[in-house]
Amino acid sequence: MTDRDPWTARLSEYVDGELAADERVELERHLTICGECRTIVADLGRLRDLAATLVDREPDRDLWPAINARIGGEPRVLPLRRRWAFTLPQLAAAAVLMLVVGAGGAAVALRGNGPTTVAGPAAIGPVDPAAVPIALAASTSFDHAVAELEQVLAERRDRLDTATVRVLEQSLRTIDRALAQARAALVTDPNDAYLNAHLAETMRRKLNLMRRAATLVAAS
Amino acid sequence: MDDPTPAVDSPIRAGPDDAVDVALAQSGDTQAFERLYRAHVGRVFSLARRMMGPETAEEATQDVFVRAWEKLGSFRGEAAFGTWLHRLAVNLLLSQRSRLGRDRARLEPTDDALEHRSGRGPRPELVMDLETAIGRLPQGARQIFVLHDVEGYKHEEIGAQLGIAVGTSKAQLHRARMLLRSHLEPQAKERM
Repeated sequence: MTDRDPWTARLSEYVDGELAADERVELERHLTICGECRTIVADLGRLRDLAATLVDREPDRDLWPAINARIGGEPRVLPLRRRWAFTLPQLAAAAVLMLVVGAGGAAVALRGNGPTTVAGPAAIGPVDPAAVPIALAASTSFDHAVAELEQVLAERRDRLDTATVRVLEQSLRTIDRALAQARAALVTDPNDAYLNAHLAETMRRKLNLMRRAATLVAAS
Repeated sequence: MDDPTPAVDSPIRAGPDDAVDVALAQSGDTQAFERLYRAHVGRVFSLARRMMGPETAEEATQDVFVRAWEKLGSFRGEAAFGTWLHRLAVNLLLSQRSRLGRDRARLEPTDDALEHRSGRGPRPELVMDLETAIGRLPQGARQIFVLHDVEGYKHEEIGAQLGIAVGTSKAQLHRARMLLRSHLEPQAKERM
């Protein structure tokens, strides 16, 4: 190979299989007589393979606090060092919270009669109208996750005391009613921003409650 | 960059909970968005580090996620969230490249011939060397190398993204590879 070797600049294209058939034949003829080009071709192939083995890694520091501040999120409370244990009173508190959600869901079902103010348990941020069908689209993933958790709880429910099971099931029934109401309302008004946000929030609360219950039975 | 819906599949795949968390994040739930951040930050940060360099990678990663939060309303679930995020990241990083206009110390190609290596797989130190060497490439060659050889984009897609001819993309890729080759091989020899 020399500086004037016309093939020097085409070797990557050859390695990538991007040369036209006649050019490829001609270059391969050149490779039979040019050891340096043969070496470069081999190196470029190895380099390309090496690039495909690069692995991703996370930044050395947590970037979330800065991102959270920029998007206007709430400062995060530092996690407890001790692993969080789920107790019956906490589960009951969660159940009460779910009852509030249920009340919100009932109001949702009735809101077609006029403006209704719903005192939900958590503030729901502004919703982009373009995004509203997403909560319904997420239902499949949600149902799958719920089914898995239900299976875990069904297999291990005997590890929970009766009172806990009763509170849990009562809460889940309340949440399910709220979900059903929100979904039914969305059938007639799928682009309603509030309904989508309410459905998404209720889905999250059900998942959280079930995950915590699953954690509880796992630790029992 | 109104809708960063990708034209090609990227290696990113959505986690099973992404759909729920995306829906929650779209409703203003920052905790759900944090879960999305934690699921995808490694991918985005690595892309930023390779395209922008280690000095600005963290800031660029933050910019990507802030931008994603702002643009979540345009995500309609037609592609996996991770794919959408990846394309958004590429678009943003390329626009930042234009804004910053910075360049780095260039690797000068050499005419030294390389000896044939017989190793079966990449040695860890070579992978590390490659990450370092990528960071030292000239900006244009580096981004085309990352997009083509690491991220799997085609020259036509790169040309469209950067507003350059396909031939220019090919030429820059070859230049990048030759520079990397000249950088990596002497170090490999030193370890022998």
